[in-house]
Amino acid sequence: MAWSKPNARKWMLLGALLVLWAAVSGARVVDPIILPTPWSVVRAVPVMFRERLLSDIGLTLGRVLSALAIACVFGIPLGLLLGYRLSMYRIVEGPLHALRSIPASALFPLFLIVIGVGEKSVVALAAYPSLLVILVNTVSGAALSNKRRLYQARLWNLDTLDTIGEVLFYEALPRIFDGVRTAVSYALMLVIAVEMFIGLGERGLGRGIYEYQATYRIPETYGAVIIAGIIGILLNEVVTRLQNRMLRWLPYVHEEQ
Amino acid sequence: MSAPTQAPQPALAVEHLAFSFPGHAENSAGRLYDDFSLSVQQGSILALMGPSGSGKSTLGRIMAGILSPQAGEVRRSAEFRNRWDVVYIDQHPINSVFPWQTVARNIRYPLKKLGWDPAQRKERICYLMSLFRLGALADAYPASLSGGELQRVALARCLSWKPELVILDEPFSALDRKVKAEIIAALQELAVRDCITLVLITHNISDALALGNRCVVIGQRPVRIISDLEFSKGFPREPGAPDYAAMQQALIAGIRDGLV
Repeated sequence: MAWSKPNARKWMLLGALLVLWAAVSGARVVDPIILPTPWSVVRAVPVMFRERLLSDIGLTLGRVLSALAIACVFGIPLGLLLGYRLSMYRIVEGPLHALRSIPASALFPLFLIVIGVGEKSVVALAAYPSLLVILVNTVSGAALSNKRRLYQARLWNLDTLDTIGEVLFYEALPRIFDGVRTAVSYALMLVIAVEMFIGLGERGLGRGIYEYQATYRIPETYGAVIIAGIIGILLNEVVTRLQNRMLRWLPYVHEEQ
Repeated sequence: MSAPTQAPQPALAVEHLAFSFPGHAENSAGRLYDDFSLSVQQGSILALMGPSGSGKSTLGRIMAGILSPQAGEVRRSAEFRNRWDVVYIDQHPINSVFPWQTVARNIRYPLKKLGWDPAQRKERICYLMSLFRLGALADAYPASLSGGELQRVALARCLSWKPELVILDEPFSALDRKVKAEIIAALQELAVRDCITLVLITHNISDALALGNRCVVIGQRPVRIISDLEFSKGFPREPGAPDYAAMQQALIAGIRDGLV
C-alpha cells in the first residue's frame, strides 16, 4: 500500500484525537471514571486477553458471521427470484416493508418466546434485519438489470435457474454488496446489544463490555469498545476486498495496487 | 439496379404490420407503423435506412421478436427452427455482452448454453477470435475495451452460433473509418461462409453502400417504404470502385424523392 497523501491525513487525524484524549485525561480535566487515560486502556488490554477476551471475540464474531451467512443464503436467492418475477414481489412488498420498519431490537422478547433463550435467538435476531436489507437490495438490483442482456438469456432459452444464477446474479451484484455492507453493521450492532442484556452461559464481547462497566473496570470497558470498533472495521475491510475481487469487471472498480 | 427479384421463400417477412408505442395515439394516423410489409430474401444483405427517429430500430426489434406488433405478423422461414436463429444486435455493444465475463468467455458462453460439443466449440472460438482479431484480448473484461474492440466482441458473440438472420442496429455509428472497414470485411466473410442473412440498420449512406446488396429507405408516419433499390453484388465496395458513384447517386435520389 502506497503512503498516499489522503492516507497520511487519515492517520494524522487519528493521531490528533489520541493526543487530545491523552491531554484531557492526563491533565485530569475529566474524572478517570468517565475518561481513563489512553495508557491505562493500553495496559488493560493484555489483562483482558489473559482473562477471556479471545473467547469473547470468537463468540461474537461467530454469531455475527452465522447471522450474515443465514441472511445471504436466504436473502440473495430469494431477492433474485423476486426481482425476476416482479409480480411476485409486488404481492410481498407491503408486508416486507412493514417488517422492515419494526426495529429488530423490539422483536427480541418475541424471539425469546418463539426460539427460546440461547445462541439461536441471538443469531436469529441479528439475521433478521440483515436478511431483509440484503433481500431488498437484491430485489432492486435484479429489477434494475439490463433488459437488453436479459433478451439474450431468453434468446438462448436459458432456464430460470441459469437466468437467475448466471445473468441476474451478476447484474444485481453491485447492489447485493451494498446490502451486505449494511447487513454487516446491523449484525454486529445487534449481536453486541443482545449479548449485553441476556446472560447467556457464554459471554461474548457485548456481555464483556457490560460486565467491565458494572464492576467499574473502566479502562477495560474502553478497551473492549475499541476492540468492537476494530472488529467492525475489519469486517468492512473483508467485504470491500471481496467486492473488489468479485466486481473487478465493473468499470469503476480496480484491483488494489 | 433492377427491381428486387422475388425469391421463392424469404428468410423473414413482416406483413401488414401495425405498431405504436404505449401512450401514443391508437388510431391508424397516429401509429408508427400501419399496414407495413417488407420481406428479406434468404442470403441477402439488406440495408435499412431512414432518418433518426423514423422507427428503424423498432422495426428491427419487431423482426427479432423482441417487440410484438399490435396487428400483422412476422413470418420466419420454416427452416429457422430455433428461437436463436434470428438475433438482434443492439446499437450499444455493451448490451450484447456480459461485462462480468472475459472476452473469451463471452464468446464461449452462448455455444456452451446451446449445447455445442467442446471440440466444435473450440474450433469456432479460434476462428472467431482470429477473424475479429481478439486473440490478445481473450482475458480482458469488456469495460476495459475500446469502442471498436467491444463491437468486435459483441459481433463475435452474437454470430458465434451461426444464426440464420442477424439484425445489426447501427453497428458502426461510434467507430472510425479504419475500424469500420475491418469489421465490414469480417462481417462479409462470415455472412458468406455461414450463409447468414443480414439486416443492417443505419442512417449512413456509405455504410449502406459498403455492405448492402439491397437498400430500403423508410420514413414518414405511418412508416412506408420510400425507396427500395437493389445493388449489384461484388466486394469490396469503396468510393472509387466501379459503379460506386452510380449506386450512391441512385440512393441519394431515392431518399430525396421520399422526403417530399
